[in-house]
Amino acid sequence: MPHIHPDGTKLRDPSSLFYQSEYIRRLIIGSYWLVIIAAVPLWWHITSIQRLSLPTSRVRAQAGNQLHFPVQIQLEGIQDASLPASLQRLVDDRIRRSPQAWKGLDVKVNDQNGVCVTATTWELLTHPPDANKRLDSYTVRSTEGVPLASERHLAYPVRTETLPMLADTLSALLVPPTDTHRVAPYSPRYRLAFTLLNEDAAAGRAISGWDISGAIAHSLSILHNFTIESQVQFHAPLAFSPLSLDHGYGLTPEDLTVPLLILDSNGVPSSSDAFLLPQWGGIVIYSPTEQQHNVPLPPSALNSVFSTFASQLLGLLGVPNLPPDVHMNAPVLTGWQLDALLRRRTLENVQNAQDTLKSIVKLVDQIENMPVGLDVKGDVQNSLTALDQMYASASTSLNETLHQSADALTLASRAFFNPGMLALLYFPAEHKYAVYTPLFASAMIPLAAAAAKEIAAWRRQRREAAQVVQ
Amino acid sequence: MRKLRFLWALCLLPACLSHSFSGETFTEELFIRGLPDGKVASRFEFSTHSHGATPRNPQNLSVEDHSQHYTLFPLALGQILREYAVTELHLTLNAGKWNYDRWGYPDEPDVAAGAALWAWMAEGSAGANPRHSVDARWRDLRNALAGLFCASIASLDEQRTTSPARAFTPFGALPAWPQSGPHAFRHASLPSENVCTENLTPFLKLLPCKSRSGLAHLLNPHRLFDADWHGMGLHVSWRPEDGVQVRLTFQSVFDPLRSGTSRDWSFSSLFDRTVDQACPVAASSLVLVTLPVREPYSIQPEPASNANNRGVFPITEQTVPLDISIHWLNPFQHATIAAQAPLSVRRMLRGAAQSHGTLAVSITNPGSAAVRVVYLETLPWIVHLYLHTLELSVDGIPRADLLEDISYIAPVPHERASTLEAILAIPANSTVSLRVGVGRAFLRYTEHPPDAQRGWELPGAVVVLLDSENKPQKPVGRWVSTNKEAAQRKQAQVLAQAQPRRIYTPALLVDPATPDFSMPYNVIIFTCSLVAFIFGSVFNGLTRRFVVLRASPE
Repeated sequence: MPHIHPDGTKLRDPSSLFYQSEYIRRLIIGSYWLVIIAAVPLWWHITSIQRLSLPTSRVRAQAGNQLHFPVQIQLEGIQDASLPASLQRLVDDRIRRSPQAWKGLDVKVNDQNGVCVTATTWELLTHPPDANKRLDSYTVRSTEGVPLASERHLAYPVRTETLPMLADTLSALLVPPTDTHRVAPYSPRYRLAFTLLNEDAAAGRAISGWDISGAIAHSLSILHNFTIESQVQFHAPLAFSPLSLDHGYGLTPEDLTVPLLILDSNGVPSSSDAFLLPQWGGIVIYSPTEQQHNVPLPPSALNSVFSTFASQLLGLLGVPNLPPDVHMNAPVLTGWQLDALLRRRTLENVQNAQDTLKSIVKLVDQIENMPVGLDVKGDVQNSLTALDQMYASASTSLNETLHQSADALTLASRAFFNPGMLALLYFPAEHKYAVYTPLFASAMIPLAAAAAKEIAAWRRQRREAAQVVQ
Repeated sequence: MRKLRFLWALCLLPACLSHSFSGETFTEELFIRGLPDGKVASRFEFSTHSHGATPRNPQNLSVEDHSQHYTLFPLALGQILREYAVTELHLTLNAGKWNYDRWGYPDEPDVAAGAALWAWMAEGSAGANPRHSVDARWRDLRNALAGLFCASIASLDEQRTTSPARAFTPFGALPAWPQSGPHAFRHASLPSENVCTENLTPFLKLLPCKSRSGLAHLLNPHRLFDADWHGMGLHVSWRPEDGVQVRLTFQSVFDPLRSGTSRDWSFSSLFDRTVDQACPVAASSLVLVTLPVREPYSIQPEPASNANNRGVFPITEQTVPLDISIHWLNPFQHATIAAQAPLSVRRMLRGAAQSHGTLAVSITNPGSAAVRVVYLETLPWIVHLYLHTLELSVDGIPRADLLEDISYIAPVPHERASTLEAILAIPANSTVSLRVGVGRAFLRYTEHPPDAQRGWELPGAVVVLLDSENKPQKPVGRWVSTNKEAAQRKQAQVLAQAQPRRIYTPALLVDPATPDFSMPYNVIIFTCSLVAFIFGSVFNGLTRRFVVLRASPE
């Protein structure tokens, strides 16, 4: 039977349609809202950034740690038993005066019986009789004559009046002053590229090659790995015009460039034929003496050039010099120098690793859009673990400590420079709003209005129903 | 202590001394020939041999490599070759279209427009470091060469990399290492790459004498990049008897007729330079000039020797400064030029629609003998072939029998290029036309290149002539000669001839549908408005309350 409008016209009553019933309409509006609310977690999930929590407290705790290298100094062959105590006092004095230079060192002076002397207490050390073999133990033997440094020994005239000088020498040996501008930054691997440059091979007097293979092929060192390569350049003109010192006639500019001398700041020719480019490398000038053409570098010249390169390399790697009054009794360098370098590199690595870890934590705290993935978290954790292990090994092996510190630094740097951390950094919230607003505002306003109207209607109905009941 | 030993060893380095060049030789050659249309083609070839050197076995990538000490061999290239264990490598950077019909077959065969890189590398051990796989090393090699040559080789990504099986054969030998897998071939080309001075500078740096002495002094960028055609190439190959060879080539086509009626040329007119001094480390340094036949001419200076209608000028201390000039007594007569190449190939993309079109290729064989060719098409995925529409015809008559073999690797959208390799027989004195339907993809917003309206360049096709009989492709014999250099040169020439001849077609331009890049937010807002309008209508329709209003009669 067709619905007839109450007024008797042909029009159907719209309220009699099934979807015009109040219940269905509320259901429709409710289901819209249900879909939106149900979609919120999904939207949240697909638009959020993975930010794993970093071990912040461990990083903070680690930053406060201070590495300590125990250093034992044995005094041997001394007559006066009070000398070790006086020396300890003098060394402590110097530590107090420049704590920054002595950072990380625990210096103890013993006499030859292995009795530890400190300024305030005497205690018997428990280490075994072959204590001299310990890596952190250095021997000072009292002799007459010039001071002589070898492996980890120092021959020095130890007397009461020379004690202040000995303390100065020891401080120069243990914590030598370093030129941080010159030393190349630490890296587990260095590439050493030797290049033989001819100014102009076509003009004659060319050096056609050198034989530097063989001897250095598989030499490694505890401090760094070295990749060694070499090449020859036949045309490397000077980037400047050399100043001619000769004023003779009939000489070509090519003649004037041989020999090539380096002028110092006063314009006086320097006796040195080499110079160092800080943190990068060194250059040795070789001026051929006799007329040579297309011959290899003579062995004697190669010898002198490479001994200069070796000393330049030591400088670039940061190997400290011995104090001027101490003579060396070792082929290239002494254990004092090597240990000082290892300690300094380790302390640098630890400091850098701690700083990098702190920076990562700070950066992640500051930038809320920065993703932190599993690899970053893993690198930070491994770096912290390497630091922990390093502290455990600090008193036993210097090499082990250095390697752990290098690992910690490498991992921390890798975490800091992880490219994944940049992914969403430059997608600011304003852009999101600019994209979302035109869509959401136009869809949400009718939805919200409809919902508000229905709620108002529903409340009015309830009030009216309550009045009817009363 | 090892540290001490290291430094001590450094001081004792020059303990043993052998001959300076320790098994490295450098030779250079310049070949100049006149072309039938009055232009002048020049080819520089700088070749460095490292005798006894072997490519790196990828099995050993995880262990420390031996130290690299070079005298003449370029260290910058040696580092790349050893780091990524590349056995054979070819890189060409060319600009312009090589006109096979007028200029004949080029002296340096690889003249594909833009940048092209192909290499053979052995597969490392399975399950090893993923960075040692062929694909990872291919990617790193591209990046390293991009840095070395200041070219966009790094953008030769997986979407442009193909491995055609037939068209390319190694120039040298591929070592058979017991544990390593077989050698894999990778090829990629970027036709839109522009070649300019910034690519020539690193090229010159790889030469022992740079551009300061020897023949390389003639490489004057102002003149070379002004030439009608110019291109440079880097070719690294290995032979068990020779060791590793690096060949650097620079080829150009000059037009002396551009500003006059005389085809006379000289070093100073072509390059604006002369050879002022010999390269002191070159084992041989030659200029070869093709002399005119049946025409009166004069040449200054006289060639030292004349072989095979080629004047030979060895460059020594005595002959410099050298400015070879050649003068024709009769003016040049423009004339119709008979086809110079064994085949003439034309290729075009037809159809105005943005979604589909037709690729039409016509291969003309003017010779009196039928030839067999490999037709290679490597297309980026934005263009895909409808293989079922492939038609071959001669003078309008379908000839399906000319297709001997076909292999097709379909493209993967956004990932892989397609490779079509077909073996065709081209009958004598006829033109075979090949037509195949192509579809053009609709690109994502971020996939368009800069200057998207210009379109995408499709790499040229490669047509490789096959020997009609089944002759061995490489000569087996060896050459015995008292003159070692001459023997080496002859051997290299014979080997170059033994290489199958490749003919490259020019690149094509395809214009996929491009959006308006200037209005991303307008597009977003327009889309949002549409969505909001539809949403609002549906929502209103579902929830609106309908009532009948009675209009009063008055």
